[in-house]
Amino acid sequence: MLKKRLVFTLLFSDGSFMLSRNFRLQRIGDLEWLQRNYVFSNISEAIDELVILNVSRSEPQMNQFTDMLKQLTKTCFIPVAAGGWVREANQAHQLLRSGADKVVLNTPIFGEPELIEQLAGQFGRQCLVASVDLARSATEGYEFRVAGGEKALPGSARKRLIELQDRPIGDLYLNSVDRDGTGQGYDLEVLDLLPQDFGVPVILAGGAGNANHFEAGLLDDRVDAVSTAHLLNFIGDGLHRARENLIARGIHLPVRDLDIRDLRASPRLP
Amino acid sequence: MTVVDIGLSNTRSVLNAFQYLGAETEVTGDPKSVLSAEVIVLPGVGSYRRAMERLWESQLSDAITTSAQENGTKILGICLGMQLLCRSGTEDGITPGLGIIPADVAVFTTPDVRAGKIPHVGFNSVRPADGSVLFEGLPQNPDFYFVHSFQMMPEGAGGTTSLCNYGIDFAAAYEHENIFPTQFHPEKSQANGLQLLKNFLEA
Repeated sequence: MLKKRLVFTLLFSDGSFMLSRNFRLQRIGDLEWLQRNYVFSNISEAIDELVILNVSRSEPQMNQFTDMLKQLTKTCFIPVAAGGWVREANQAHQLLRSGADKVVLNTPIFGEPELIEQLAGQFGRQCLVASVDLARSATEGYEFRVAGGEKALPGSARKRLIELQDRPIGDLYLNSVDRDGTGQGYDLEVLDLLPQDFGVPVILAGGAGNANHFEAGLLDDRVDAVSTAHLLNFIGDGLHRARENLIARGIHLPVRDLDIRDLRASPRLP
Repeated sequence: MTVVDIGLSNTRSVLNAFQYLGAETEVTGDPKSVLSAEVIVLPGVGSYRRAMERLWESQLSDAITTSAQENGTKILGICLGMQLLCRSGTEDGITPGLGIIPADVAVFTTPDVRAGKIPHVGFNSVRPADGSVLFEGLPQNPDFYFVHSFQMMPEGAGGTTSLCNYGIDFAAAYEHENIFPTQFHPEKSQANGLQLLKNFLEA
């Protein structure tokens, strides 16, 4: 039976990992901070997938991001999706060579559809994650935002999501600008915007503050995975505990029976 | 162990996993290195046709078949790498494969689960076949990470086939003499995957 997924999302900008609240960014710590506070050598015991996004507000240096990616993924034996500022096929390739298995795309989904086609042709559609940021709007229900949540695309979000279904993508990462970083729980109403029998797996993001929120998302049939990008809500062993909690409540997450530390060739102290 | 690089794969993830287990690793696109390899890993993501074209152009295809069929070199194919070992693929028209496994590759027919979502992506449990070497020491029905839209048809392939179900039963892993492909990604399947890779190295 196919299991649901618990996803951790890291936001990176100019050497630091960031906390985002309604898409406003705050610096939290560097790679060393992250590895210390999350025991990253062991992170794949707690989560099922890692998403790492370059959320720099101005065009970043790709190398700084890929160097971090290489270091972080060295002992991360779960799927890794990376993205942010991918505008050319060779940038996607660079991410895939640095430890990513999938490429996350946001602005180019509608801005540069030919890039999406090219990447799908080269790496397969399963390799592409469409990241979609929705914001509640007074007039239209929801707006479809791009460019780090700053720009609204014309047309209804519902129609955009229908169009998205025909694009060659392997996952939909569905985020809520309004709930982002608030810890108030997911906006489950965004799921009503999806066409019925939406044929792409859905990762729900934006607003998780505790295991109850993960559970509420995972109990929805339309949701394949839930994500948190909150760097402080699940700090330390918070993700481990949330996972155990969810499994104890009967949520079908992959079961971790073996300990990866037992398989390491030359055990080193953590 | 030697990882065959055709420029379309997540070779780094595969290397990370084998290095964690303490294996000596090498990445190559050179047919000569494949012919002299002790253990071959053929990872793969992307399109069947494009991957086969790369293998033909680089003459890696001949090197892999010679190693696998004449030299008896132990070979692990991962995901698309498993499918490439088969007779043919149907992505973008019919493309001949390496023909090392007597089976064909077909697209998933829309499963009646999860609203028929394709690709099949995520952790799913595998039912290890009796006598499987790859799954030794693993829990019953262990979870592995899959991401694919096509699959090897298990019918008539012989060998030891461990199955997974996504609407239909399909071949999750195959073992026959020196041939050990998996449809899932052991390098992305946490400790279960590392244990399986260890079993492969020790097989």
